[in-house]
Amino acid sequence: MLLYIVRRTAQMLVVVLCVVTLVFLLLRLAAGDPARLMNAPDAPDDVVEATRVRLGLDEPIYVQYLYFLRDLFGGDLGQSFQGGYSVAQVVFAALPNTAMLAAVTVLVSTLVALALGIGAALTRGSWLDRAVQVYVAFAQSIPSFWLAVVLVLIFAVQLGWLPAVDFTGPTSFVLPVTTMAVALTPILIRTIRQSFIETLEQDYIRAARARGIAQRKVLLVHTLKVASLPLVTLIGLQSGMILAGSYVVENIFNWPGIGKLAVDALTSRNFPMVQGAVLVAAVAFVLVNFVVDLLYTTLDPRIRLRRAS
Amino acid sequence: MRGKLRWCIGAATAAVLIAACSANEVPGENNAAAGDGDADSPGDAGGDDSVRFLIAENFWADWVPYQSTAQSQARLETHIYDTLLQFPSGELDQPEPALATEWEQVDATTWEFTLRDDVTFHDGSPFTADDVKASVELASGATDTDTVLQTRWVPTTGEVVDDHTIRLVTERPFASLLNAVRQTPIVSSEDIEEGSDALAQNPNGTGPFRLVDESETKKSMEANQDYWAGPPEIERLEWEFVGDPQTRVSALLAGQADVIDRVPAEQHATIEEADGYSLISATASEQVNLWSIPGRVPEWDDSPELRRAVMLAIDRQALVDSLVMGESVVADSFAPQATLHHTSGSPAYDQDLDEARRLVQEAGAEGLEFELWVASGFLPRAEQVGEAIAANLNEIGLNVRVVPSDVAGLVDDSNSESGSGLLYHLSWSSGGDPDAALGIYATPNRWTAGDDTIDQLVADGKTTVDPDERAAVYAELQAYLWEELPHIPLYNSDFTVAYSDRVRELRVLPNYETNFYPASIGE
Repeated sequence: MLLYIVRRTAQMLVVVLCVVTLVFLLLRLAAGDPARLMNAPDAPDDVVEATRVRLGLDEPIYVQYLYFLRDLFGGDLGQSFQGGYSVAQVVFAALPNTAMLAAVTVLVSTLVALALGIGAALTRGSWLDRAVQVYVAFAQSIPSFWLAVVLVLIFAVQLGWLPAVDFTGPTSFVLPVTTMAVALTPILIRTIRQSFIETLEQDYIRAARARGIAQRKVLLVHTLKVASLPLVTLIGLQSGMILAGSYVVENIFNWPGIGKLAVDALTSRNFPMVQGAVLVAAVAFVLVNFVVDLLYTTLDPRIRLRRAS
Repeated sequence: MRGKLRWCIGAATAAVLIAACSANEVPGENNAAAGDGDADSPGDAGGDDSVRFLIAENFWADWVPYQSTAQSQARLETHIYDTLLQFPSGELDQPEPALATEWEQVDATTWEFTLRDDVTFHDGSPFTADDVKASVELASGATDTDTVLQTRWVPTTGEVVDDHTIRLVTERPFASLLNAVRQTPIVSSEDIEEGSDALAQNPNGTGPFRLVDESETKKSMEANQDYWAGPPEIERLEWEFVGDPQTRVSALLAGQADVIDRVPAEQHATIEEADGYSLISATASEQVNLWSIPGRVPEWDDSPELRRAVMLAIDRQALVDSLVMGESVVADSFAPQATLHHTSGSPAYDQDLDEARRLVQEAGAEGLEFELWVASGFLPRAEQVGEAIAANLNEIGLNVRVVPSDVAGLVDDSNSESGSGLLYHLSWSSGGDPDAALGIYATPNRWTAGDDTIDQLVADGKTTVDPDERAAVYAELQAYLWEELPHIPLYNSDFTVAYSDRVRELRVLPNYETNFYPASIGE
């Protein structure tokens, strides 16, 4: 197990390094000179050049990259081009907000998916099953940005029940989480439903029923345990989608998280801030997948045994 | 196994509940948006004495004075710093006292200002003529330091007569001196001596508000209780960048913001119909052009017929009526309509596709390929405007490709030697001063090929002090530009601010300054 963790940690480091390197290069290769943006359109070239020197952008890209790596391995994410704030301080202040949004979204989506997926699987062909299928098709076809605006207009502007923007307390979660959950639940519901149907047809389930074990116990213990395994994997894989989705949702709801931070920084070509935000997001993504893998090993003895043999 | 599963679910639930309940204490960028009020109740913008202002433009610059002309920065600075004069009506010929109580022109190049003697900076140090001298000399380019603001000045030195009297001596006659003074925040001479790094971190002015907190996208100010004109009634002022226009509108209508800017034209009616909200328009100060870069497409540089064909092909009225909308108006000059000495050009260049086709043929430019760059996220419906223009131009036999970008990409391509665009959909706002409005078309800006007539007339306008003579210079300059069409003037864009009626006496000037002093908060 220890060897496995060490190997996976090394893999994660490589992945994160590749991601930040890619972002570093793409930012500099893409159009958009931060020094030019920080000055007026009619600013003299020497003023713009002085800004470039101050930001360290006058060096060749490979030199900038070496400085970046040196600082990164020293634990320094650099300073923001605008205002000179510590990138680490700003990014780590925003991280919990995104993490909370993602966690609540996963929790709500999972509970909804379990309820609807199991309900549909147990009542195949019934009105409930069809209603769930309709919801899945409907939810898959709704663009998140549109849904977010509609929810805000109804529940914040018209009814005044919920905040339209910002993270001001528990009720602030309702609209952004609903928006993201509608995007996430269709695939979870489909997976749960299918997995449940397949599991219910397994011999050991029939055997359990034949032994007279209570239906409730058959479903919640014998079936759910096995049927939910794909869900765990799926949530890990979807964590990237949740992070990407939070970029849209955070901007619409003015949620002070990593996504909004990165988008705002990108518009002003604030390279250190974008790099810091992407780095943290990449680390979060690989860590979530790592935890999911560990969890999977714990939940499914077959994998543990296979690995041991 | 059952125990593990329960443990996992229980831990996750607990973590979420703890996190959700501790939301107010999480550090972040706007988690204190509710100010002193109940943080979790919708409809509480910023507490009883607070005002929250959501702006469309990011905070591009730092606090180093005179090194930025970003609107967002200028609007912040007007609350932290004072200037010698103010123009509360927005009319450039109606200056009123601010840090200076009296002023007079001594001779062609010398102005004398009498300063207030009861003013202190936010750090408690007294305001004197030395501060004016240091500020003006730095801003105007009279020192070794180049500044962005120096393009609005001619080099000017200060002669301190006594602690509260100063003479400003310009290198040559300077007609826009009073307007340049208005744009120049007065910074402490001691701060200037400390250097730009210190200035960048700690804005120390004499203005009605002092900066108390800031992040990348948010600036918080508190009332300066010692303000020489009396303390502001607004105790706390929050400025926050929110790029999405719909988010700004939703926040206002949900009561989570008090003031928002750049209200999308299609939302004007919604806000006007809602109880407790009002709109102020400061349209006609921002000129939106298709800006061309000399040297990119030789046919464009060499053929006035081609440029006139492009002007005649574009249905500018339709752009204004159907896409940009709001209070925007078709441009009738290279200076926006709110500019001092603005004159309308002739002919009006109404759309005439037949004439445009004829001119394209005359120029031998049929099938000419070039790029038109548009940037999303700032000017309203920029992509649609670009597509509509391209459709017009393709109708007359040109082959135009629209390149969508963001503002940063567009600015970069227009400034880069390797840039590929010919026309750029961009705006230039100038606050009413003709030198600022028209100086952008003169050398050494990248937007000009070095036209001697333009350069001379811009220089003359800057130094011609007599109002009638100056008006004649600018009339000639505008007529020349209208005839030559180095760029394609499109419209003066809509700039509308929406605000909750709890904010009283909010002032929006033609240069987009949104003044929260001497505004107050009502019930």
